[in-house]
Amino acid sequence: MKEIVRVSLENEMDLILAHKRSMKLAELCGLSLSIQTTFATAVSEIARCAIESGAEAFMLLGIDFLKANRKQVTAIVYDTAPYTPKWQEAVSYAKRLADNVKVVRNGAHIEVSLHLEINFAGVISPAKLESFIQYFESEPPISPYDEIRRKNIQLQDLAQRLRESEASYSFLSDRLPLMIFSVNHLGTITFSNKWLQDYLGIPITQLDIAHWQQVVHTEDQHRMASDLNQLIINKKALRQQYRLRQNSTGKYLWHMISIQPAENDRDLTTQWVGFIVDIHAQKLIEQTLKDNTELKETQQKLVYHQQQLEQKIEALNRSNYELEQFAHLASHDLQEPLRKLFFYADVLQQKYRETIDASGVQILNNMTQAAGRMKELIRDLLAYSELNQREFEFGEVNLDTILEELLKDFEIVIRDKGAVVRKQPLPIIHGNAVKLRQLFSNLLSNALKYSKAGVTPQIDITCLQTPEALAITVRDNGIGFDPKQQHRIFELFERLHSRSRYPGTGIGLSICKRIAELHHGSISATAEAGEYASFQVTLPLSQQSYIHTA
Amino acid sequence: MNHDFKILVVDDDPEDHFIMQEYFSEAGLGDIVVFRENGEEALSYLAGLPPNGLPALIVLDLNMPVLNGLQTLTMLKEQSHLRHIQVVIYSTSNNDHERQQCLEQGARDYFVKPFTLEAGTLMIERFRQMLAESLQ
Repeated sequence: MKEIVRVSLENEMDLILAHKRSMKLAELCGLSLSIQTTFATAVSEIARCAIESGAEAFMLLGIDFLKANRKQVTAIVYDTAPYTPKWQEAVSYAKRLADNVKVVRNGAHIEVSLHLEINFAGVISPAKLESFIQYFESEPPISPYDEIRRKNIQLQDLAQRLRESEASYSFLSDRLPLMIFSVNHLGTITFSNKWLQDYLGIPITQLDIAHWQQVVHTEDQHRMASDLNQLIINKKALRQQYRLRQNSTGKYLWHMISIQPAENDRDLTTQWVGFIVDIHAQKLIEQTLKDNTELKETQQKLVYHQQQLEQKIEALNRSNYELEQFAHLASHDLQEPLRKLFFYADVLQQKYRETIDASGVQILNNMTQAAGRMKELIRDLLAYSELNQREFEFGEVNLDTILEELLKDFEIVIRDKGAVVRKQPLPIIHGNAVKLRQLFSNLLSNALKYSKAGVTPQIDITCLQTPEALAITVRDNGIGFDPKQQHRIFELFERLHSRSRYPGTGIGLSICKRIAELHHGSISATAEAGEYASFQVTLPLSQQSYIHTA
Repeated sequence: MNHDFKILVVDDDPEDHFIMQEYFSEAGLGDIVVFRENGEEALSYLAGLPPNGLPALIVLDLNMPVLNGLQTLTMLKEQSHLRHIQVVIYSTSNNDHERQQCLEQGARDYFVKPFTLEAGTLMIERFRQMLAESLQ
């Protein structure tokens, strides 16, 4: 059956409606007024019975499609009441009025159908059926009651749909990996999805301002409070990142909170809607990338410093090379003209002595002396530069033998000056014999050179030894020097005394210092002007521990 | 004085030719000294001499262009008819390493070019001794 209209059967008003609609449908189907009335009366008999005895009864009016394109108007009354004698009475009365009345009893259900054949059924097309349905839908109410009823049904229908929609919304929102919430202008949470409640572990009713502070990381609380304040004042969307405490683990994970004002019909903000999304992984990646950036920066700095170091090494190598070149120049090219100067001065003095007068001879002597100083300077500079560029071989050095040999070398000077030299026995150490000899030669030479006029020069060579090192002191009773100068004297070309009285190049002690350093030792001086000078050389007994680090 | 031997001095510095000439002259050997300016010139000079006209002593400066003292010494010692000639090296610088190399290559001695007439005369005396030994 094609249903046209439904009528619920609950009260007297429904009975009128059932009658009226049955009649109308018959009319729409083109049946005569008498047939309409008869059919409607038969339907009313059944409907009345259903209204009186039944529960949740209703009636459907429609068109039945039979064989050979025949059609019939059908009214079916459904009821859940027992089939009482009243029903029997009603059905028999209806049967008197209508040709075709059928009763179907199915357990507690009663189904009574009344049929009215339409002889000219061919004119009732599907479009016509639709127009019947439309007619009953827009049928003007027959009474205020009918109007209320209809509205009520519509409302119920809407409520049902709303329930369905809400169910599907919370189904969706509870399953999204998001926390969703809305909050009213009083700060009360009006909605939160399951995810939010599960994450925070607090029932929605407790999610007030006080509880929010419990779940926000202490470091973020102040910022969040001020952000929320701004949000309320400016009514602009907020999008910020805070750490929220996960109830299940107790860990604070990074989240992005987005809150937007929702305006009502009158453009007033009474609601705020927002969502919270877990961005902890993203944060971790950001942090890792940041760390990585720092790592890269550090690496770049390292590379930069390494390059600088390489440049410095290169510059050092270059200056070492230049030093070597200089040493070569000093040893060869500077000595070449000097040697010739000596030769010519010599020739002049030897061969032309007779023809040069006394002052000329004096000038020649001065010239030879100046050339002699230059020769010394070149010799010392060469010795000093060689110390910087050569790697020296270390071996057993008998310091006692070296000092004894040196005293023999200085024999003439010692005798001439009447100097007294006392020497303690010295040990054998690990070092370079040639250089150590040079060191002590310079110290002895200085001790003899800077003697006081009229005083017997006394030179004491003493030695202190520990298991690792020894300190050799060369002390004289000469002119000494101002103790303030004790560091200056080891600088290259430093001279404390006038050249005219004490000739020298100012390189000797620099050479001593360098040799001591090459032996991983040191040299220091103490003195008093006019009293004494004392030089202490400290040397390790063995160079073994320096071989790998040097 | 009449001598039947020669001394060859190889030095690129013409001033040193003059100075050496002075030293040799002082020692009475001035007329037997022959000068060449580098190793190559010295070798071609020697190549043109008859076996009995070869110098008894060759004095090589160490630092010279074209062929230096050490190279020339090595080449002299490679030739059988020159190998017996006494060779000394003299140089401005006093370098132990170079001295060692020269002696290893067959030089009789290594002199630092003298700064004074006295030292120069001593050097010539040493040459004279070498000549005396070789002529015996």
